[in-house]
Amino acid sequence: MKFLMLIVRNVIRNPMRSILSVLVTIVLVFVVIVVWSVLSLLDYLTTEKSQNFRGMVTERWSIPSRLPFSYADPLSRGAARRPGDVVPTDSMTWQFYVSTFDKEKITRESLLFCVAVEPAKILTMMDGLDLLEGNDLDQLSKYVKALEEKRQGVILGRNHAVNLLQKTIFAPEEIIGKRINVTGLATFKGINLEFEVVGLFPPGRYDTLAAINREYYNNAYDAYQRTTGRPHPLAGANLNLVWLKVPDTNSFTRLAEQIENAPDFANPAVKCETAASGYSSFLGGFKDLIWGMRWLLAPACLFTILLVIANAISISVRERRQEMAVMKVLGFRPWQILALVLGESLLLGAGAGMLSAGGTYLVINVLMGGLKFPIAFFDRFLVPEAALWWGPSVGGFAALLGSLLPAWSARNVKAADVFAKIT
Amino acid sequence: MTLVQTDEPAPPMRSDAIVRVRHVHKYFRRGSEQIDVLHDLSLDVPAGEFLALMGPSGSGKTTLLNLVAGLDTPSEGEVWVGDQLVSAMSESQLARWRTRHIGFIFQFYHLLPVLSAYENVELPLLLLPLSAAQRRRQVTTALELVGLSHRMRHRPGQLSGGQQQRVGIARAIVTDPTLIVADEPTGDLDARSAEEILDLLGELRRVLHKTIILVTHDPRAASRADRILHLEKGQLVEAGQSFGH
Repeated sequence: MKFLMLIVRNVIRNPMRSILSVLVTIVLVFVVIVVWSVLSLLDYLTTEKSQNFRGMVTERWSIPSRLPFSYADPLSRGAARRPGDVVPTDSMTWQFYVSTFDKEKITRESLLFCVAVEPAKILTMMDGLDLLEGNDLDQLSKYVKALEEKRQGVILGRNHAVNLLQKTIFAPEEIIGKRINVTGLATFKGINLEFEVVGLFPPGRYDTLAAINREYYNNAYDAYQRTTGRPHPLAGANLNLVWLKVPDTNSFTRLAEQIENAPDFANPAVKCETAASGYSSFLGGFKDLIWGMRWLLAPACLFTILLVIANAISISVRERRQEMAVMKVLGFRPWQILALVLGESLLLGAGAGMLSAGGTYLVINVLMGGLKFPIAFFDRFLVPEAALWWGPSVGGFAALLGSLLPAWSARNVKAADVFAKIT
Repeated sequence: MTLVQTDEPAPPMRSDAIVRVRHVHKYFRRGSEQIDVLHDLSLDVPAGEFLALMGPSGSGKTTLLNLVAGLDTPSEGEVWVGDQLVSAMSESQLARWRTRHIGFIFQFYHLLPVLSAYENVELPLLLLPLSAAQRRRQVTTALELVGLSHRMRHRPGQLSGGQQQRVGIARAIVTDPTLIVADEPTGDLDARSAEEILDLLGELRRVLHKTIILVTHDPRAASRADRILHLEKGQLVEAGQSFGH
């Protein structure tokens, strides 16, 4: 306890130096946490899972994938034709729909990017939502039920709610119950829909995505044909992908083979890949950026923390050589001097890291509602709870590493030499 | 006390000697040059003696003090304190030994500026297996002995030079060491404070029967000692006058 007190007193003996070191460490740990928050989500998505394996069926030769809706049912059954064929444990169809709720002023903020789905599948098949518990699960279940009952319903992402309400993110629920009209854009031109907002996705991954009932969406294509006398150009190709869930990798391998060899899916041909592989392909265009973040930016920040702390501790040790010598004369053993210096840097680094992590989590998740960092189909990133221990660990580890040499030099201070130089 | 000329055989051990230095050589190397600081020095210091070491700068008195206090090891020879062969101990063993057996008083006090007088005196006790109450009792006693119990919460910067040196003395005696070594303890003090510190050292020897080795340039300080030894070029050259305090 007294030893800890001595460490604290030494850290605060030069407040300006300690504050500056802490501030630099806070900023750098902040950058590391932000980078790792983005990377951790991308890693999570692109890492193969050993259980509850998720696969994705898309058009084989064309991007964007456009399949006829008639593929939906057989693909959802995994193209199982013979006894013993693998049947997915769950499935979900995705039909993209891009529209704007302000056709006069089409901006990023007025865009509504929807997926038309079977509402019940939202709870079991959408990545991350299948893990909800407690109040979050109850709330989303209520919204999903409303989407099943109201075919014109829409579950919005938080960003849409904010953009529609044109105010801060603190009360996006106010949008629930309101009706919105949207106009189809690009290849969806002519598919104009009216929705009633029945709910919101939990904050995070789905802030920029909306879910609509696929029955309502498909009926809109029939209505288009009735009104214009001709089918909509996307009418026979408005199924974009089918998600399938199987128990393990072995089942997935068999399922993929089963689907890709099925004669029913020859024109257009389909491919079945893991979700992780699908995400990886999608993120391919950003691979240089991601590589730079992972291997240049984060290590550079860590190295800078190390240098800053090493510099501060080196100066401190140099200034206190006499004190170290006195402590040795009093009977402090070399390892105790080493521990004292390492303790000081650990306190500085881990303390700054903890402040940084707590602050980053609070500011980005609570105040900003996520970090705006558009990459692929992600708009915002949330700082994971794990960052609360990343901060102190990163700060502490870099500080320890940076103070190894100064601490070793303090350990080896020879009292007789130090006092010989004084007298 | 025995003074031994270097060419003579080592004297027999005195039964009451608490410090026994035997044929000690100490030399440093600077490049290819060897600098002899102590040359075949032998010395006994009986328990309870107040010994002053004098000599010109570079004569080796501080080096001898460091060897006796276990801050340095001899190049050759042996240093015994009590029944411990100090010159054969490792750095960690020496550190542990110093905590219990040596009280060191510095010329420039060398108190830790971030700690109060009380905490400075308590510092060596943190290395001993004592309860907080035992530590408190010992620190309070030591500060009372040096007449600073009313200043125990003050930091070194809030104390005069003489008061800081008293805190240094309290820190040196708080572990009740076998031997107190003092390197120019009055060198940085005005005449009045120096007298007070020397009075205090005399009291430690008289009341607590502490063995004290004092290194000094100041003949007035040396005159307080039971005996004075002069060092020159790494050798004891003459016995000084004993005032028999």
